[in-house]
Parts: sequence; structure tokens; C-alpha cells
Amino acid sequence: MIPACRLADLPRGEAHRLDTDPPVSVFHTDEGELFAIDDTCTHQDASLADGWLEGCEVECPLHASKFDLRTGAVDSPPAKLAVRTHEVVVEEGVIQVRLSAAAPNPPPCVAARLAGGPG
Amino acid sequence: MTSTSLPDSLIATLPGSSYKDPGIFAQEQEHIFETMWFCAVRSSELTKPGAFRTVEVGRESILITRARDNSVRAFFNVCRHRGAKLRTEESGEVKRAFQCPYHAWTYDLDGRLVAAPNLTKMPDVGRTEFGLVSVATREWLGYVWVCLAENPPSFEDDVVGEVVGRLGDAESIEHYDIGGLAVGKRIVYDVKANWKLIIENFMECYHCATIHPELTEVLPEFADGYAAQYYVGHGAEFGAEVQGFTVDGSEGLDRIPGVSDDQDRRYYAITVKPQVFINLVPDHVIFHRMYPVAVDRTIVECDWLYLPNVVESGKDVSRSVELFDRVNRQDFDACERTQPGMSSRMYAKGGVLVPSEHHIGAFHDWVNRRLGAPRP
Repeated sequence: MIPACRLADLPRGEAHRLDTDPPVSVFHTDEGELFAIDDTCTHQDASLADGWLEGCEVECPLHASKFDLRTGAVDSPPAKLAVRTHEVVVEEGVIQVRLSAAAPNPPPCVAARLAGGPG
Repeated sequence: MTSTSLPDSLIATLPGSSYKDPGIFAQEQEHIFETMWFCAVRSSELTKPGAFRTVEVGRESILITRARDNSVRAFFNVCRHRGAKLRTEESGEVKRAFQCPYHAWTYDLDGRLVAAPNLTKMPDVGRTEFGLVSVATREWLGYVWVCLAENPPSFEDDVVGEVVGRLGDAESIEHYDIGGLAVGKRIVYDVKANWKLIIENFMECYHCATIHPELTEVLPEFADGYAAQYYVGHGAEFGAEVQGFTVDGSEGLDRIPGVSDDQDRRYYAITVKPQVFINLVPDHVIFHRMYPVAVDRTIVECDWLYLPNVVESGKDVSRSVELFDRVNRQDFDACERTQPGMSSRMYAKGGVLVPSEHHIGAFHDWVNRRLGAPRP
């Protein structure tokens, strides 16, 4: 489990980005639910925590693909691959994230960097 | 002929080059339009957060919008990354952000840089520091005024002060509640003339009896050539048989309630340098904004403003619009007729101003001071 932040410090409608590798973001929806997904859009290196949160979806701030916070699925191009979702629990007022064991779907430039290429 | 040899009745105008030299126009852009308060858009055009207009102010493109809190914001329409123009349309609406179409640098409605490719890998890039560069704004008379100067001059002195100088006080214009009026008609004129010819034309009425037969019919004292903007606080009185400020002198629209009895049946004209003309009559306000785009070309956007219920009820405003639309076309035709003469060798030293135009000399002195060249 990775501690993210205190629940009290994450207002509804906002996101908190964890500087993990790859980075993960926790979203607190307007309805009060908490979700964690990979922070990086699968199309290009953009932070979804900087995106636009609406209901249970976050829209990438760069090219408007929307990701479902519950499943990680993407609604429309340019992103084609889903982001991973991660388990979230709140213990003693602190948001904790349990990272998924699945393989991430980083965008091409990040994937190239992870593979040691130019990035 | 030099100015020193002129008879007492005449004073010299600016030289012809002042109206046709692109280098002088560039100086005016820098020292006048990019330095002073500039009336940019009608506030009501920015209907909600994200609605925007782009306007050319001097040599700069400015993006004017409303933030989430409904306040007006203005920015240089230039991406901080590689300088691409953010929006090329004259008007439009964004949902939440301005995004550069080149590399997708994305700015919120406050101008803050909210996203860019690889931005999280560059934590040292300040999102405010590399946000859009803002421009000072003020809202007055229902218009958004912007100032590109780093330290804007006092709005009260420069803008409100011009109105006070003409009407004698600040309250008189408030009687017309210009901010609360609605746009009944807008006409945009593309005038092939230097902006100063248009200002000079607006400042004098020596031409009125010759080119404005309809206006002179409604305002008989204009025939003497002196009226217009000569006497502080004076408004030209409607002719005795005239019912309203319309093309045929027929009845106008509903009188603006705040207009006082001594303002009734009178016409007031105000120039707010460098690019605004305001005409006040009891039932409407005619508000001109000039956008000088080249040394020999000026776009003039003119709004006819009426009480909101007049516009909403669809009352026929055409006869009142037609009066000043004709005046505008008559004036702009005269300015376009004058523009080619500015390049004549005969006009190299300029022309002359008769006594009823001598106050235009003060405008010329003002232009020269702004450009740092005192009148010889």
C-alpha cells in the first residue's frame, strides 16, 4: 500500500498525483467517490490529474480522450489503450493506494524511455 | 508655404507624411494604441465564461474572455511556448481552456498553464510564470477597455477625464446608463483612410452643411459649422419641427429614463482619444470604436444602443439607425476622398485649419507629444 494524502486534503472535484513510476493519480469525484488510475494518458505524455474531472470520467487535458475511472477504459481516440486502475482504501483518514500488478500502457515516448531509447 | 507665413485665420495641419508614412503609423501604434486605454469589445458579447473575442490593438492580437468567476480577462494571443497564435477567429467560445493548436500547450481561463505534453517531467516550469501574459482591463459604459502598457495610465484621468472635458462633469453621461443599454444594431465600416482623418472629421462641423443634409436638418445649428465639439457642456438642439433623432426627423424610440430635461432634444458628441466616439441623444447612444489596421485603413465598429425593452420588443429602429449610418458613410467617403491627397507632393507640408477647426490643432499637438516630437 502506498499512502497518497489525507482525505481531508483532497477536496471533491480534485486529483492528487503520486510521483511513482509510472505516476498514479487519485481522483475525488464530485459525488464523493475515490478512484486511482495511472496518471499518464496512453496517447501522449500528459498528466490526467491536470485533466477535467466530470462524474466518473477524466478527460485528458491535451487531446480530449476520456478515461472511465472505474474501469480505466478510454472512450474515443486519439488514446486507444486503457489506463490501469488501482485499489483505493482510506485508513485513519489517509488515502492508500494498492498498485495493480497488471502491465501499464504508457504512451510511446514514455515506453521508449522505459526501454532505454530517446524520450 | 510654411506655417509662419499663414494668415491669422489659418493654422497648419500635420504634414501629409503623417497620414501616409508606415513608419509614422508604426510609432503611433507603439506610443498611442499600445500605450493608452483602448476600447475593445462590448461586454455583452462575452456572454459567459469561455466566450472570447480577439482584437487587434496596435500591432498586437489580444484575446479577451471571461473567467469562471465571470470577470473579464485579456491576454496576448500568443503561446508562451513557440509563439503560435492561440485563436485566429474573431469570436468564439471554449469550454474550459485555450489550447495552442501547435503543441497543445493548454491554458485555463485565468491564463494559467494547466497542461502541456511532458509537463510533469518539467517541474521547474512555473504554471503561472509560463501562463498567458495578461493585459490590464476595465469595464466602463458596457465596454471592455484594455491597456497594453506595463504600467497603465489612470483610467479616470485618461478616459473618464475626456468625457468630463467635453460634458463638463462625470454625471452627465451616467444619465444615459450606457452599460445597461442593448445593442440594437451594429455596423462595421472598412474605411480606406488614416485614423487621424477620421478623428479630425469627427471633431469639426465645418463640413456638416455640405455633406450631411439629413443631420443638418435635424440639428439646424450644425449649418453654422461651429457646433460639434467646440463648447464644453453644449449639446446641439433639435430643430423645432423635429420629433426625434431619425433620418426624417420622425419620432424616435423610448427616451432613456435618466436623461435630464436639459439633455432632452439635444445631441452631444464626445471623442475619447485615441479611438472612441460617443454620440448621445435622448433615446439612444451611438458608440464608435476605431481599429486602425494600416496607415491608410481603419475598421470602425459602430453600435446603436437602445433601452433593452426597445430591442427585445423588436421595435423598428431603422429610421434612427439610418440617420447616423448615412452620416458615417458621408464622413467616411470624405475621409477616403482625402487619403490619396496625403501622398500628393502638393500636400507634403499639409493643409490648413479654419477658425472653426482650430481645436483640431490641439489634437495634432497631442499626437506630436505622444510621438515625442513637439510641434515646431
